[in-house]
Amino acid sequence: MSDQTPLAAMTLAREIVNSLPDVESRPLGENKVELVVPRDHLREVVAHIDATLEDAFPESAFGVDLGDGEFEVVYVFWSQVHRLLCQLRVRLKEPDLVVDSVCDIFPGLEWHERETHEMFGIDFRGHPDLRPLLLPDELVGKYPLRKSFKTDRSRVAESGLAQPRPRRQAQRGTPTGETAGAGDRQAGGETQ
Amino acid sequence: MTGTPRPDILDETVEVWFGPQHVSAHGWAAKLTLVGDYIVECDPHAGYFHRSAEKCLEFRTFRQGSLILERLCMLEAFLAEYPYVAAVEQIAGLEVPERARVMRTIMMEASRIHSLQFWWGQFAAELGLFTMLLWPWVDREFFLDAFEELTGSRHAVSYNTPGGVKYDFTEKSVRLLERAIERLEEHLPKFRDMVLRSPTFKMRTQGVGQFTAEQGIKWGLSGPNIKACGIPMDLRKDDPDPNLAYDMVDWEVPVTESMEHPGESDAYDRMVQRFKEIETSVDIIRQLLPQVPEGPIVDPKARAKANRLPEGEAYGRVEGTRGITTLWLKTTEKAQTPYRAKIRGPCFASYYALKHLVPGSRFADFIVMFGSLDPYPGWWDR
Repeated sequence: MSDQTPLAAMTLAREIVNSLPDVESRPLGENKVELVVPRDHLREVVAHIDATLEDAFPESAFGVDLGDGEFEVVYVFWSQVHRLLCQLRVRLKEPDLVVDSVCDIFPGLEWHERETHEMFGIDFRGHPDLRPLLLPDELVGKYPLRKSFKTDRSRVAESGLAQPRPRRQAQRGTPTGETAGAGDRQAGGETQ
Repeated sequence: MTGTPRPDILDETVEVWFGPQHVSAHGWAAKLTLVGDYIVECDPHAGYFHRSAEKCLEFRTFRQGSLILERLCMLEAFLAEYPYVAAVEQIAGLEVPERARVMRTIMMEASRIHSLQFWWGQFAAELGLFTMLLWPWVDREFFLDAFEELTGSRHAVSYNTPGGVKYDFTEKSVRLLERAIERLEEHLPKFRDMVLRSPTFKMRTQGVGQFTAEQGIKWGLSGPNIKACGIPMDLRKDDPDPNLAYDMVDWEVPVTESMEHPGESDAYDRMVQRFKEIETSVDIIRQLLPQVPEGPIVDPKARAKANRLPEGEAYGRVEGTRGITTLWLKTTEKAQTPYRAKIRGPCFASYYALKHLVPGSRFADFIVMFGSLDPYPGWWDR
């Protein structure tokens, strides 16, 4: 395995860009490269990485919510023999949040894709098992890692928990009777 | 008389839940499909320990974030918080003083030893060797004492901070660390022989959970699980972090090459490998302790620079006790909190790998396979 000369990240990127001109590449640092891959070419690029790097290690895959209905899926591959890191980036736009699954090429990405599906609502075409992985049943389909998922007090009513006391009333702390306190609480609730 | 139809073996399957109430299943559960004594399907379930760490990180400032990271795996807290700190340092352009660089490395290796001692006791207990549960855990207390003296906390240490470390070595904290290492060195050969030469232990582990390096890498396994196959895959050598002091040490990546099955590892090899990891860490600490230079422990501009970060993306990586641990960080201009932080825990892959590794083995070997991969629920549930 180690008797051949190490492959430079830019050589790998050039090979891929030469065969698929739609792919853009940019260096990320010492022997690290990023490829921006159009959605339709993802499987070809991943298959090329699998064929070229004999010990390609599926390090990570995850989603990023860019806002305005735009999403990215990022894949990270590492090769210990070549000391090479390759990061792929696929851009998606609502409502068409579908990308081909690559977990038949790298089984290690199966759960990463499953998690991205439940957290961002991105569909992986051809994935064998997209059941929720980490979330409880109440949050299935709510995509908590999207920016539109609010974790502030606006969701308290949904949870069925008691409404928290508004902070300014707690600071005042005047023992002037129950009615004033109740009035404050109501006013606080309306302004939120 | 026509003969009775032969039973289809898959008609007689039984589904058994291993966990979440099982004593060895602390925060996880796997659904096993059995035929007789053999497992034909393993479906690991995650989520029992999910604390939405990635979403929480989006609401914490860059100096608070490492506190969430270290709570994902308290056993290796010094290592667990490091990828976040490294990513923030890359974006903020912080320079880590030489003294902090060395101190970080020492404490991260001490944390690795502590985590391995914990695993070793727990794995022995899972096999029924309860004596071995307590002996390494007594030695582990000495490391916890050293952590407590240094940081004020035994587990949630919050030691690394962007630009350096929070607490300086004192004479007493160094003495406690040395005492812990001396005790470990005194006991390690005896304990290792007691485990690895025990015929019962060998029968329970040899040939169990065997996979090739190629399979393991495809499943996403890293760290000692791959090094036990003879592949020196270690980020400390392969992708050295400029803010850690491994370049000041003369050391080799420990690997285990089995004579019976070269290029593959079983539960026994992984046990051997983890003992070697402890020895390497002791060696690194022993070499670094006399080399701690004088000077400041944190970049004086760290507070100001880490308050608001410029727009950027960074990828912090560290070789954790259990494998490659990373954090991918994206920030927006002048933000006080991360835009997106993705944690890659090494055990996310090792827990997933059970799905491929377990089918075909006996039910009694399931816990051996699970334990030999050293999974920790905090790393996959996050």
